[in-house]
Amino acid sequence: MRRIIHIVRKEFRQIRRTKAYFGIIFLAPFAMLLILGSAITNEVKDVPVVVVDGDHTPGSRQIADAFAASSSFRYVGTADSENEAKRLLDDGNAKIAVIIPLHFERDTGDGRTPTVQLLVDGVDGNSAGVGLGYATSLLAGVQQRWVIEKRVPALLLAANGGRAVAVRQITVVPRMWYNPSLDSKPNFVPGLIGILLIMITTFLTAVNVVREKEIGTLEQLMVTPLSGLELMIGKIIPFTILGFAQMTVSVVAAGVVFGIWMKGSLLLFYAMAAIFCLSTLGVGIFVSSLARTQQQAMFIAWFIMIFALLLSGFFVPIENMPRAIQYLTYVNPLRYFIIVLREIYLKGTPFRFLWKEALAMGVIGIATLLSASLRFQKRLT
Amino acid sequence: MNRTLLSIFRKELIHIFRDLQSLFMVLTMPLLMLLLYGYAITLDMKGIDLAITDQSHSPESRELIDRIASTDFFRITARDTPPGEAGALFESRSARAMLVIPSAYARDLIDGPDAQVQLLVDASDPNAASFITAYLGQVVAQQNARANPNAPLLFNVSQRIFYNPDMRSADFFVPGLIALILILISTLLTSIAIVREKESGTLEQLLVSPIRPLQLILGKVLPYTMLGFVDGLVILVVGSIWFKVPVEGSFLLVLLMMFIYVVTGISLGILVSTIAKTQAVAMLAAVTMTILPSVMMSGFIFPIASMPRFFQYLSAIIPATYFLEIIRGIVLKGNTLANLAIPAGVLVGMDILLITAAVRSFRIRLE
Repeated sequence: MRRIIHIVRKEFRQIRRTKAYFGIIFLAPFAMLLILGSAITNEVKDVPVVVVDGDHTPGSRQIADAFAASSSFRYVGTADSENEAKRLLDDGNAKIAVIIPLHFERDTGDGRTPTVQLLVDGVDGNSAGVGLGYATSLLAGVQQRWVIEKRVPALLLAANGGRAVAVRQITVVPRMWYNPSLDSKPNFVPGLIGILLIMITTFLTAVNVVREKEIGTLEQLMVTPLSGLELMIGKIIPFTILGFAQMTVSVVAAGVVFGIWMKGSLLLFYAMAAIFCLSTLGVGIFVSSLARTQQQAMFIAWFIMIFALLLSGFFVPIENMPRAIQYLTYVNPLRYFIIVLREIYLKGTPFRFLWKEALAMGVIGIATLLSASLRFQKRLT
Repeated sequence: MNRTLLSIFRKELIHIFRDLQSLFMVLTMPLLMLLLYGYAITLDMKGIDLAITDQSHSPESRELIDRIASTDFFRITARDTPPGEAGALFESRSARAMLVIPSAYARDLIDGPDAQVQLLVDASDPNAASFITAYLGQVVAQQNARANPNAPLLFNVSQRIFYNPDMRSADFFVPGLIALILILISTLLTSIAIVREKESGTLEQLLVSPIRPLQLILGKVLPYTMLGFVDGLVILVVGSIWFKVPVEGSFLLVLLMMFIYVVTGISLGILVSTIAKTQAVAMLAAVTMTILPSVMMSGFIFPIASMPRFFQYLSAIIPATYFLEIIRGIVLKGNTLANLAIPAGVLVGMDILLITAAVRSFRIRLE
């Protein structure tokens, strides 16, 4: 026990001497949350749209105006022909082209039902789908307005028994809980706090141990009466404390920068983070036993992090991944921690709905830490 | 000149091949990333857990429920939970949304003009929330259309999707991944390559030899350029075979643009390595300057147009932003050089600027 305290004290002395750590703990949370929190958004906004008005009538202009006025679109202007619109799509200056045919207004008046064409740049499938949804619902809205304004031709009215508005209609009244404006920041910011925690507990732990290996001081430590387990615990404790200090700064930063404060219990939040840290520290130690140089340690740690991030549901929903990959996500502790973070942060969910996640993280964490310590000790002897 | 260059080149190759562990990582990491991004990334959702509370208990309400149950958008996980308990349902994550059909539903529907249903959505995941409302909107619109076959239709809307008609995510990510991997390898590896010699003191040994700085830099850079190229090609070939991403445009143009882009990454790496004193600093600088911005702010995943104005300006100084436009343009749209004059021009401009800065900074350090 005394020996562990000595190691911890040595580590803290080293940490105090490295100025960069203070930047990592106190500045990185603000910078990362500000940059990533603002840049990461799967909202689709300002889709550049071009209108080809082949009709030049009040009706066709209303459609163009509707696109120009919508906040979902950025109105690039009009094009003279379909070919010109296609060229704008080719150059990437527009993502959607709306083509209003010649005699559009006359044909709607006659009941000939003309067709408005939407040309869509489908390269980014997700955004294209959402943009297409915006455009169709905008056109449906225009259509509905015209129906209500009684611009319905007599021909069609007669077929409908003289009534313009559909008679048996269901309307959905949506009510958004927890995040009424559907802002993506409340969704991503809590997750980012978890990712910052990995940075310290996995990256710094791994690089720190490998550095002693590279410099040769690890051998000096090994000839002391210190056991491998004591060394490992002595290395883990300082970085856990560092990680928690940074997490606290992150919590404050999320509140100050974005006004996102925790709804649930702070105590539960810290307890969950402690359980999560078991696995990140385990991975850090494991990487350190794998890598021979700091560069390799960084590479391996990044590699693991990219996988963990992608398979965590942080920005990609897990439900729609192929079945095999979904099973893979069950062994990813970040998957559970992201759920826990969001639940506590946004909904204030109590522990009785989160014990399964805690259990999963605990099992994975202990398994990781155990196998890492076995490997670490084997390496030492 | 050429002999010296060649021996530096050979020395670097030996370094690379001795560190098989790193080489293995450099070659397999892109492939694994390709598989993951190709398969795993789609923001679309299916089988969303939905709770339905039917207070109407009428044939009309049952018709609507049947219609919802018959789609694969939703999976009905709870029935007739009181609306007051929606919060508990959301907190236990047994449903992401709750549809409440009020008791007046059947009467309102018959009397017209409309019957309201309430949809309570757990919007803590906004992406899921907007899919839920959109899907339910579609189901209800179908139901409305069936109930009112004679509703007036003024005009139709048809859609044609270009370049990626099935809107597959692999088509989007495979070319994008090339942009990511190339900058990762060219900047990160180059930045370390020179600092390492600085740290171990061998750079001074090289400098007292009759090697000229330019030869040294070129000799260091060429092997990594090749490595980056191999990675880029592997992704392109595997992507087009495995994920069936068609290469619409000229393959030669792809190679040319890859070359310009790799030069950007390498000159950035050299600039970092001439300034940095230790490997750790170089790596950290290279990572913050390349990987994070290239993943998050270049349009690789998240659309630039949706970002706040300030971050849009920031994305304009990231090389990957331009290369993404180029590679997606060539591979998916079949763009020619004429379409891509602006982004290609910007990249060439960045090349010139960065090389000038790197050479100047290197000269200053040498003296």
